[in-house]
Amino acid sequence: MKRMAALAAFAIFAASAFAQAPVIPELKGKAMEITIWTHEDPNRVPIEQRYIAEFMAANPSVKVTYVTYPSAKIREIITTGFAANQGPDIFNLELFDEYPFITNGRVAPVDFKMAGSKDLKDLESKYLPGMLTSVIDGGKAYGLPVELTNWCVYLNKKIFRDAGLDPDKDWPKTWEDVMAVSEKLVKRDGQIITRRGFDFRYPYYLTSIVPMVEQLGGELVSRDGKAILNDAAWLKVLQYFKDFGPNGKNLGSPTYTDARKLFDNDKNEIAMSLSGLYQEARMKNANPAFYNSKDWMVIPFPQWKDAKKKVPNNYYGHYYMVNAQSPKIEQQASWALLSYMLSHGQEYLEKVAIVQPMKALMESATLKAMPYSDVFVKDMNAAHMVYYGASSSKIDAMLKEAFESVMLAGVEPQKALDKLRKDVTAALAEQ
Amino acid sequence: MNKGRSGESLERKTARWGWFFVAPGVLFFSAFSLYPILNAFWTSFFNKKLLSLKPPKFIGLDNYGKVLSSPDFWNSVGATAIFAAGAFVPMFLLSLLFAVLVTSRTRWRRGIQMALYSPAVLSSVVAALIWLLMFDPRGLANQMANALMRTPGIDHKWLADATMVRISTIVVYVWKYVGYFTILFVTGIGKIPQSVNEAAVIDGANAFQRFFRITLPLLKPTTVLVSVMILIQCLKTFSTQYLFTQRGAPLGPINVLTLNIYNTALRDQNLGRASVMAVLLFAFMLLLSWTQIRFSRSGELES
Repeated sequence: MKRMAALAAFAIFAASAFAQAPVIPELKGKAMEITIWTHEDPNRVPIEQRYIAEFMAANPSVKVTYVTYPSAKIREIITTGFAANQGPDIFNLELFDEYPFITNGRVAPVDFKMAGSKDLKDLESKYLPGMLTSVIDGGKAYGLPVELTNWCVYLNKKIFRDAGLDPDKDWPKTWEDVMAVSEKLVKRDGQIITRRGFDFRYPYYLTSIVPMVEQLGGELVSRDGKAILNDAAWLKVLQYFKDFGPNGKNLGSPTYTDARKLFDNDKNEIAMSLSGLYQEARMKNANPAFYNSKDWMVIPFPQWKDAKKKVPNNYYGHYYMVNAQSPKIEQQASWALLSYMLSHGQEYLEKVAIVQPMKALMESATLKAMPYSDVFVKDMNAAHMVYYGASSSKIDAMLKEAFESVMLAGVEPQKALDKLRKDVTAALAEQ
Repeated sequence: MNKGRSGESLERKTARWGWFFVAPGVLFFSAFSLYPILNAFWTSFFNKKLLSLKPPKFIGLDNYGKVLSSPDFWNSVGATAIFAAGAFVPMFLLSLLFAVLVTSRTRWRRGIQMALYSPAVLSSVVAALIWLLMFDPRGLANQMANALMRTPGIDHKWLADATMVRISTIVVYVWKYVGYFTILFVTGIGKIPQSVNEAAVIDGANAFQRFFRITLPLLKPTTVLVSVMILIQCLKTFSTQYLFTQRGAPLGPINVLTLNIYNTALRDQNLGRASVMAVLLFAFMLLLSWTQIRFSRSGELES
């Protein structure tokens, strides 16, 4: 077994040591500097830096500057850069944040030749059906996916046992269960929570909260462009947040440290948090002892007891895009570089635990061997892409304002809903 | 009139050197203040979107109409007014009180001044981040408040309640800037001739009478300057509210005008409407400063 592991390690080392990026004839002798702005990820950054070094070695006239920013800040930084016409050559954001860049003509179409495809059909055939739809407009593709992610619930079994619960039986299946189990798991010093049972991923309302509404038959934006449909569904979810928050049962709040960040520490602070498969790689890095223990598991995204349909957490994509204002030759170099970087889907999966939406990767032994990957895949198969449109960033902020006003500022759900509908309708009308 | 060898007056020569010395300041002001002000005014008449590459369309006063009829704008006006009023009173009184305390002491004077001024040296972002840690439900703010009030285990919801989050932003602001305004008052008090105070002491005035009958009236120019500066500073508040809302505090109660301008420009990508709010805020600050200075001058004339 040890010999096998040593051989495998050698094979990976040899593969990376002798990795050869393609020499792009079009770039030969044309000095240029390419900048990439991307979000921080301790596991993704080193491998991407290696791909870039390999690409530069094969194409010495190209200098690539790779810059990372905190996830919470990158949208504003990229927007500001583009507003000043000083955007990077390559960037990535979550789809609902980067879609307005496409609608505003800020993104260059994929150069099929440089991206290693014959045409759009050929490019699409490399991915699962429909995975490029969100970045296709007028027969052109505007991005290449680096990851497709959905969230499930990570659960700390030790905390469940500590509260007298059996994690294998008592894990919450419904939102009602989440509330009830959280009440059993929560620990407080007076009113101050010292251990949370569950807490939400607060700034990500489009990704994680809209599915809760959809489970009850509600809609954010209908096919005919109407906003906020089915008041009963929305009001039930808003009331749930009110009950969950500090002015209700005091089970969690956006003002506490992000649940996802605390989960990996395994310090008896959070029993359940929402995250993607990538969290496994981060946990492995941050707390290998906990990762290798049998003390955690992943459960599906909860559904309401009286759900009208099953809607797991939305999945979202991170697409690498190229600045339309960059000179043509730099656009070509950018697509060639991205094509090379993204050709390492297997390594992205192994080391970062992010999945490019390709059939081969989704069915790979690597993915299947990852703990609880089946839970993520099963949920993803029943889920749909997060809402995106010209105003999606704005709508996400409006959802945040509505839910947090109910949860924290004492606003009545009906009043918050009326304002939300008015704001979203205005945002849609203006796009 | 005194004439130089070339027949040019000394006054004109001095004036020319004056221009030379103020030129860097004028250039700096023109590039980083005047141009953005004029540009914002111009942009406010256009349908300008942040990311759009299309030329913006002239829409006249349409943006003004939309902003002035928007409940969000009036909520921001209210949030700004509450913040400005809430921060102005304690900031003004505390800085005056600290200045009197500092000037009345001979020992530890520099040390106290440094301690008071040190938060002003921090960037607003760092100050807000420090206070975010303190306002965490398990942070120092709850611990200290509970220890002082003997209310163990109470969560004062510094960031999780509409009223408390307003108070929290005011606390951060007063803590950060009180030292700066104290120094201004200390300078003002230092300019009052010692002989006036000495004469009052000989006449039998006590400390209380000296403060209200001598220090405060003679401090009027500094008082006007400080009050105008505090108000303008309060109207420009941004970083604290921005960072607090990023960390989960509800937006509505602390959605001050500057934050609304930022969100309208960067989140909603509507530069035209953001410019309208910036122009209105600028006009209000200008009017406020003018009124305050004029009011103080009329007071001087009467006295």
